[in-house]
Amino acid sequence: MKKIFALALAGALAASLTGCGGGTDNSTAIEKYGSDTLKLYNWGEYMGEDLISNFEQEFGVKVIVEYFDSNEMMYTKLQGGDSYDVLVPSDYMIERLINEDMLQELDHSKLPNLANLADGVKNLDYDPDNTYSAPYFWGTVGIVYNHNNVDPAKVEAEGWNILLDTEYAGHIYMYDSERDAFMTALKALGYSMNTESEDEINAAYEWLLQLNNTMQPVYVTDEVIDGMANGNKDIAVVYSGDATYILDQNPDMSYWMPTEGTNLWSDAMVIPKNAENPALAHEFINYVLTYDASYSNSEYVGYASSNQEVLDALSGPGGTYENNEAYLPRSGYEKDEVFHDNETIRRMLSELWIKVKATKA
Amino acid sequence: MKQFRNMIYPYVVWIFIMIVVPMLLIVLYAFTTAGNEVTTFRFTLENFTRFFQDAVFLDVLGRSLVIAVLTTVICVLIGYPIAYAISKRPERSNMFWVLIITMPTWINMMVRTYAWVGILQDNGLINSILGLFGIGPVKMMYTTFAVVLGMVYNFIPFMILQIHTSLTKMDKSYLEAAADLGADRVQSFLRVTLPLSLPGVLSGITLVFLPAVSSFFIPKLLGGGQYVLIGNVIETQFLTSGDWNFGSAISLIMAVIIMISMYITRKVDTDPAAHGKED
Repeated sequence: MKKIFALALAGALAASLTGCGGGTDNSTAIEKYGSDTLKLYNWGEYMGEDLISNFEQEFGVKVIVEYFDSNEMMYTKLQGGDSYDVLVPSDYMIERLINEDMLQELDHSKLPNLANLADGVKNLDYDPDNTYSAPYFWGTVGIVYNHNNVDPAKVEAEGWNILLDTEYAGHIYMYDSERDAFMTALKALGYSMNTESEDEINAAYEWLLQLNNTMQPVYVTDEVIDGMANGNKDIAVVYSGDATYILDQNPDMSYWMPTEGTNLWSDAMVIPKNAENPALAHEFINYVLTYDASYSNSEYVGYASSNQEVLDALSGPGGTYENNEAYLPRSGYEKDEVFHDNETIRRMLSELWIKVKATKA
Repeated sequence: MKQFRNMIYPYVVWIFIMIVVPMLLIVLYAFTTAGNEVTTFRFTLENFTRFFQDAVFLDVLGRSLVIAVLTTVICVLIGYPIAYAISKRPERSNMFWVLIITMPTWINMMVRTYAWVGILQDNGLINSILGLFGIGPVKMMYTTFAVVLGMVYNFIPFMILQIHTSLTKMDKSYLEAAADLGADRVQSFLRVTLPLSLPGVLSGITLVFLPAVSSFFIPKLLGGGQYVLIGNVIETQFLTSGDWNFGSAISLIMAVIIMISMYITRKVDTDPAAHGKED
């Protein structure tokens, strides 16, 4: 008796499951794209609330989303043979994927919305003609500080070197990634963040050691967002989009892009070679670039849109981020640089960074 | 019985694919250089010399061992009395208490550890309460205290359950015999209960020490990145710098250290002086 009941229950469950899947008619999508499922691999907390559901509804498809928290994690998974239709890696990682022949060329005829790209994020060095990538968000890295406890004039005068100002020891969040840490140090010392000179890298290593040994910094990644929004520390190295959110949450906070230059970064949508559904991938990329999708995406997350009109609307008069100095990235500043991929340097920095952190003051 | 013997083969195959092959791969990676083709390997000891010649890495290793030992000792000191108290309860409520102890482990470890951030941080729960009395804020986050607390909190259920099991399995007639022979409660605890529960303590030590020594996200979350432990170094090699060979070498060094400590534990376990009733 029990068995029959269990069977009936299992049957009912199965029926309800298939019932769920068949809720929308996907046959048109299958006819048009060859499949009705898109596999997207994106950063966590990097999409507007209804970007996916709107896309699903409009095109009668299903989107499976997975999240990564570092480019390297994404790369490791991709190398492990996992297949995705759309990825959203950063500039230097796209450069690496292109060099390793892991990306498909985009069919620009299927992406009319590429015409709306903002100048500052278009045709950057890592992909000069946007052959492989369609920019998603972009921004800078800067200093978020509490203007009640830290004098703005001082931040503007000292730039990155304020991170070594012992007056603020114990009140600092440092970004825990070798690229961002070394970018900060190299820029503070007036070098290029893409330097290949061992002397310059060693000088940056010493700079970071001094930071580690004299400033009692707390090394964080995404925790910096809540930490600064709650006002736990006075100074932090933050990505501009996260800074937008922090400034939005906490009126005591200000954002500064040091005049020594910073990392001008962008994350862009690409289609890997092993994508199962490139046709639908193009449709998705084009959709994300539309005004409406990009607007709600950017407004919700706080990162700068790659669509020029959206950028103008959100940062212009009456826009959500009109008074938020972190939202609009600085473009055309000559000391700002885009990261380049260099495996030897990357390994070197990675090892030096773990040594900095492991050194006890 | 015999007809069932064939049924173990699927498990042997499973173990081989899931445990033996990955282990062999780690050994292979540890002793080779990067960029090998499938057919040619360049063997090297460089990955190991790189680790042992660097004071920073040895420091990290030392720190990891110290924190793991500290965690284990605290787990025994807190866990034993709790397990003992539970085992003294009537059998029915025993189940209930064991349930209470294991309940937190139903929730993802990461989430539970993250909750401590909210409790310990400068404007968190504890400091808000202290603030009401005009004390503090006391700095707790990003200290050794926070890291060890996080580890003890996460791993202590393993200790309690192991000790509890060995205490409840104990034959109560030994205690009656001890009482008959005139032992008081302290004497019978020290000379009967404690030795008989030692196997549980030892397996508890193994179960706490192993995850504690290789943990990487507890020091990351509660130590604010400053408490770089050996697990963090391994994680970085695989996820950030992509140096799988060096990462494998460190993993192998850890595996050897763990095997040695397990061997020592086993030795103590089979030591007749510490051994109870069987044989």
